[in-house]
Order: sequence, then C-alpha cells, then structure tokens
Amino acid sequence: MKKIMAGMIMGSLLFFAGCGDLHQPVNEQVDGGEVVVDLDGNTIKQSLLAASFPGVDENTTVCGYKAFKIPYITTDEEGNEVAVSGLMAIPTGICEAFNTIGFSVVSDDHGTIFKNAEAPVVDAETNNAPSGAAIIMTSLSAFVTLEPDYIGFGDSNDHYHPFVLKKSLANATVDFIVAAREFALKNNIRLNGQLYLTGYSEGGFAAMATLQKIEMEHLDINVTLAAPMAGPYDMNTSAFGVLSQPTLVVPSFVADIGYAYAKASHQPLDSVFNEPYGSKLDSLFDGSLDRTEIDPQLTTKTTGDDGLFRQDFHDNFFIDPNQWFRQAVVENSVHAWAPQTRVRLIHCRGDEVIPYTMSLWTRGTMKTIKPTADVEVVPVEDFLGIPYDVGHADCGPIAYGVAAQIFAAERNATIGY
Amino acid sequence: MKKIITLSMMASVCLMAGGYKIPEQSLNSMALGAAYVAHTTEADTAYFNPANMSFLEESQYVEGGVTLAHLPSNVYSLVDPYSGESKTENILIPDFHYVSAPMGDVRWGVSLIAPAGLTKRWDTSYQKLYAEEFTLKNLELNPSLAYRVNDQFSVAAGVRMVYSEGIVNSDGNDAGIPVKREMKGDTVEFGYNLAMTYKPTSDINLAVTYRSKIDLNEEGQANLYFGGVGQQYDAEVSVPLPAALNIAVSKTWQDRFTLEFDYEKTYWSSYQNLDFNYDRPIQAPLQPIFDFPLARDWKDTDTFRIGATAKMDNRLTAMFGFAIDETPVPDETIGFELPDSDAKIFSMGFRYQQTKQLSWGAAMLYDSKESRTLTPGVAENDVLANGGTFDEGGAFLTTIGIAYEF
Repeated sequence: MKKIMAGMIMGSLLFFAGCGDLHQPVNEQVDGGEVVVDLDGNTIKQSLLAASFPGVDENTTVCGYKAFKIPYITTDEEGNEVAVSGLMAIPTGICEAFNTIGFSVVSDDHGTIFKNAEAPVVDAETNNAPSGAAIIMTSLSAFVTLEPDYIGFGDSNDHYHPFVLKKSLANATVDFIVAAREFALKNNIRLNGQLYLTGYSEGGFAAMATLQKIEMEHLDINVTLAAPMAGPYDMNTSAFGVLSQPTLVVPSFVADIGYAYAKASHQPLDSVFNEPYGSKLDSLFDGSLDRTEIDPQLTTKTTGDDGLFRQDFHDNFFIDPNQWFRQAVVENSVHAWAPQTRVRLIHCRGDEVIPYTMSLWTRGTMKTIKPTADVEVVPVEDFLGIPYDVGHADCGPIAYGVAAQIFAAERNATIGY
Repeated sequence: MKKIITLSMMASVCLMAGGYKIPEQSLNSMALGAAYVAHTTEADTAYFNPANMSFLEESQYVEGGVTLAHLPSNVYSLVDPYSGESKTENILIPDFHYVSAPMGDVRWGVSLIAPAGLTKRWDTSYQKLYAEEFTLKNLELNPSLAYRVNDQFSVAAGVRMVYSEGIVNSDGNDAGIPVKREMKGDTVEFGYNLAMTYKPTSDINLAVTYRSKIDLNEEGQANLYFGGVGQQYDAEVSVPLPAALNIAVSKTWQDRFTLEFDYEKTYWSSYQNLDFNYDRPIQAPLQPIFDFPLARDWKDTDTFRIGATAKMDNRLTAMFGFAIDETPVPDETIGFELPDSDAKIFSMGFRYQQTKQLSWGAAMLYDSKESRTLTPGVAENDVLANGGTFDEGGAFLTTIGIAYEF
C-alpha cells in the first residue's frame, strides 16, 4: 500500500512540473525578411468604411495587404555602415492578378516622427496592421509600397536620427529600394520596373534628396515620376524663417534639427543649446517619447538666456556665412538643382508649418537652373476641389490621395492597369 | 507516456454541476448524485467528509474508479449564420481514494480527484470566435486528517493541492473577423477543507463540510493573430475554484436503508470577471476582443440533493439520487464557453460485495439541463445580445469502481 501511495503522489508531483510551452505562432516564412502584416481586402475595406475614409464605399476595390520587414544596410553621415529596417507592403487578394504584369513601386518616405513606436516597421510589427500612407498606395491603389524606417528608428534605434539631413535620408531610401528589389526577386514578387518617389514633410524632403542622389550619382535606378509633398526643400530659407521668429511654434522640430545637425557636424550641443535643454536632448530624442511628450520639456522662446538656442549661436547664424550651421543648411538643401525626372510638388496652400511658397520657390529655382525641367506645383486644394485652405497636419492624408491618383494615372497610361 | 496518462486523469468535463464544479468523484457519489456527505462508507470518505474517517471500521480502505463522461452537444439557435452546435465530448475521469487505519483518535486519508473542469468546443463560425476551445482541467491531491473527539463527534481538516491547466482557443476567421487566439497556461494552487460530523444517535449523522476558494491563476503563453500574422505573449488569466459549504443529514433505518439530504452553497460570486493579461500591450486591433476584461458577475448558487442507499442483501447495495442544481451564470454575461442553465440530476447505481474485502459496482448519472432562452438586448456578448436559445447539452456519466478493505 505504501508503494501505491508513493507512486500516486510522485506521479502527481511530476506532472505538476508543467504542461509545456505553447508553440510559436505559425507565420509565413519568406527569404530575407519577415511577414509583419497580412490582411485580406475585405477586412481593410470594412475598417475604412467604419472610419468613413474619403472615397471608399461598398463598391470600392480594396486589395489585401501583406507587409514585410526587410533588414538592410545603409550608411550614415559619417560613412559608417548602419543596420536598418524598412517596410515593404504588397497588394494581395484580388490584386494579386497584377503580379503577372508586375507591380509598380512607390517609395514613400515617412514624415517627422520622434517615437520609435511610430516607425513603419515597428508600428507594423507591434500591431500587425497597416497604417498611414501604405493603405492608400497598396490597398486602394495596388502599388508595392516601400517605407524605410530611416537611420535612428526601427533596427537602428540606438543611432541618432539624422533629421532632414539629405545624405543619410537619401542613403536609407536608395539602399532600401535596392534591398526591396532583391527581396522581391527572391520571393516571387514581380516588379514592372516603375518607381515612384514620394513622402510628406520630412519625407517630402527625403524623397527629393533621394531623387537628387539617384540622378547626381547616376545610380542604376530609373524613377518614373517623383511627387515630394510639403517638404522643407530649402533648409537655408527654412532656418532663416524659424530662427528669425522670437517664438517657436513646435520646439521639438527645431530642436531636433539643431540636435541632428550638431551631431552630424561634430559640434558640442552646449555650443548650440542653452541649459537645461542641451543636456536633455539625448534622452528626448532617443525614440522613447512622442512629440507631445517632448514639446512640454522645451521652451517656445527661440533664444536669449532662457531661450532654446544660445544667443551667440543664433546671432552668428545671421551674421557669419561661414558658421557651420549656416553652411550645413545650405549643403543639405535639395531645391537648387535641375532634375531630369518629372517632379510634381504636392503641397497644401494652407500649410502653416512648411509654407506653400516653399514648393513655389523650389519649382522656381529648378526652372531657373534648367528652364525645361518638368517641375510643377500641385496645390492639393485645387486638385481636389476643396474650397478652403488645409493645414500641414490635415493635408497629409489627402496629399497622399493626390499622389496616388497622379501615380495611378501614369501607371494606367504606361502599364495599362 | 506519463503525460498522456496523467492528462487523462484531469477532468475536462463540463456541466456536471452548475458552473464548472464536479461534485461526483467516486462510485457512491455518482450513484447518489453527490448526496454523499453525512453518510459516507468507503475510501472516498477522505474526500467527501474526512471527519467520517473516524467512524469507519478499523481497516485500511482503498478505492479507485473511472467515469466516462459523455457530453452531448449544446445547440444554439438564432438565425443563420449565427446558430451553431458545440462538439460532443467523451472523456474518461479516474478517481482514487485511500483511508488509513486509525492511529488512536487520529486517522488520515488522501484523495486524487478532479474537482472542477470545463471543456466547450465549437466548430461553427460565430461560436468559434469566442470559444473554439475553452478548457479548464484540474487535478487535486487532497490529504486530510481526522480527529475523533468522542464516539459522536469528529472533526477533520485537509490540504487541497490543485494542479490546473487551461486552454483557450478562439478563431474569428470563419465569421469574417481575422482574429485568432491560442492560449495555454497552468498553475499549482493551494487551499484547505474542513469537516465535522456529529452523530446524535447511531442512525443519524449530521455533517458540515467546507472547501475553500482557490484562485486558479493560469500562467502560460498566448499566440494572438491579426490576419495572417501572430505574436506570442506571456499571458495569465485567473478563474476561481469557488468555496463550497455542504450541510447534510442522514438517517438509517434498520441498518439497511439510508436517506440523505444535502444542501450545498457554492460561492460562485467570486467569479466577477474574466481578464486576460499579457506581458506587453497586444496588437491594437485585438485589444477590444482579447484584452479588455469581460464581466462575469456570477451568483452564489443553492443545490439540493437527496440520496437513498438500500442494502438489498448481504452483497448488493442499491443507490439512487436526485438533485436540483442552480446555474450561477446570469443572462447578462452568459457566453459560448459555458452556456450553462439550471438542471435536474438523476442518478442510480449499485455496489456488489464480492468478498469481505473486495467490492465493486457501477453507477449512472444524467444531468438534465433546461433550455435557456435569452431575451434580446440583455447579454453582453455581441451574438447573444440578439437573443436565441441554448438547448440540449447536459451530461451522461457512467462510473465503475472497485474498493478494497484490509
């Protein structure tokens, strides 16, 4: 009897050791990346209908959406290799039929973000759901969409983000286009060779920087059409405009420019910023906070003893053409060249952050350099027949709609769908 | 092999009593519909009323049994495609009990039983969204010690060591909702039980037993899918094994016929919500479905049982039972994982004394669930909020057992 009891209790206790771990989720395996979103078109359509998304009704064709995280290598301002990540979204479901012809590609550079969770790959990895412009381009317009996280976000979150620094942004975009093409080849995603460049705000700047790099360095990449949107293409003018004002509307934007430019130019932060702000910036811009969390920790006063920028830094910018920041903003401007590719500068007339005149100025500069350059400004309100001016934040989603229509019209005229 | 065997020992059955508690854990208790607290006569005394161990003969008792639980499907009727039918379940549940010989006024015993369990599996589209599988398996090791105060009065206490395993699977894809959950967790928890028996006369037993509440804090992993992509999280969810109070009285006539009445209060009100927690925020689109707490607000229940034991001759004993069992589940929070309803329980069985030491027997129990019609607009579940009716379900249980006394 004692043996029976001992066996019974031992058996029970052995079993108490646990039932084993659950197997890992069964996700589709791909070569050179990872599936992070995979949704059918009907699910996306229902969510767009629930959100009263403009232009979507029960009869709208909505493609399924599959997105991949693709890790790749790019180079930063100093020429160092950096392991970064990008999101490649492809149309699925009824739109997979276009795979036989080949998909056109839209390279979409994202706008200003501060929090790593807002980066395209991180957001998709976290929520397994599409967000932002890729829905418009991929689900509603059947483009393959490429969204690099940029240096400083995603896989390179430990690196400072080179905010509106054209070399790093262009490198991250061009290297992702190359990486995505290799990924497509390995995974039977057929591309038709068409490449459209776009992006909003910082992304508009990055898209223009990308086009400039492709053309100036004669890279083996053919751009079908570029439609940068609401970008600060002339950084020199932008800097003059901001620093000449006594107050800063969005201090995080301006602080990040000073921070990134100082890092890239190896200038000490305490030579640019007053305390206590200068010593805070490494932690404010480490990717853990969003804009609404950063702005309250800065001041809206531009300069002076209690301003964001040191008075001597501020004054030298205006009086010394050889000041490092003055030179840097000139070097990083992307408006003063003559593109061979057709460029459509999409911008809202009511933009209060990056004025509409920035696109007019860019077009004018480009046409001055090369009168035959095919560069035009597309006012969003005029294109869509909106009877009022639209501000920077509200303009983003509808500007993407304009870009998608322009790209789709070009694709339809050339590819046939 | 060990795991296969022990898994089968864990109850994963549903609705043998209101909620997910399983009162019947032996041949006699099955035959008597669990009206088996005041007058207990075999090794299963260690579980049903350890105070009665003091009044058993001066032998060692050992008993084992196995129950086949046949659980017919539940049918939910609304309109297509919202109607559905759960899967039929057939599960084997063993039990084991032992009572030692007395050591002065002290006597100990131990039971290995499955005190609660739940398995509900649906393969129909809208039901799968909530409960493709909802399983709670439990195995309890319950050693107890009785102290004989005098010839009329005995008290006992025991330790409850419960191993529990939970499985929750949900799949909305067939309903056009691209979400899926796979969750598995387990835990070991402890509680206690108390018992006392008073025998005012040699033919009357008065008994009170109490089992403490045990919170089953299941910890494990969850795979959550949105569309075709899933992520794994460390996850936990807590469900209570409720406290229960039994008050019972038995009367024996001419040492041949015994009648027992049993009132059981089960404190289901401890089950207030079903709240899954994860080690990090889950995918935003899934939060309303798999993360937000679900109210349960169960009610305490009253169960009334009556059991009759008749010694037909020196070898054969017949047993009959009947119980009226209340459901703890209110209309507002009823779900597909446990579409419970009030029940009437009918049982019968026999024990045959093969030799002086060895006896064996069989019992059957029928748990007859009432149909439950939901008023539209009452239930919080998005499908059940439209109303509808749950029919069928219930349980047919067949137990065989063997006991040895030495």
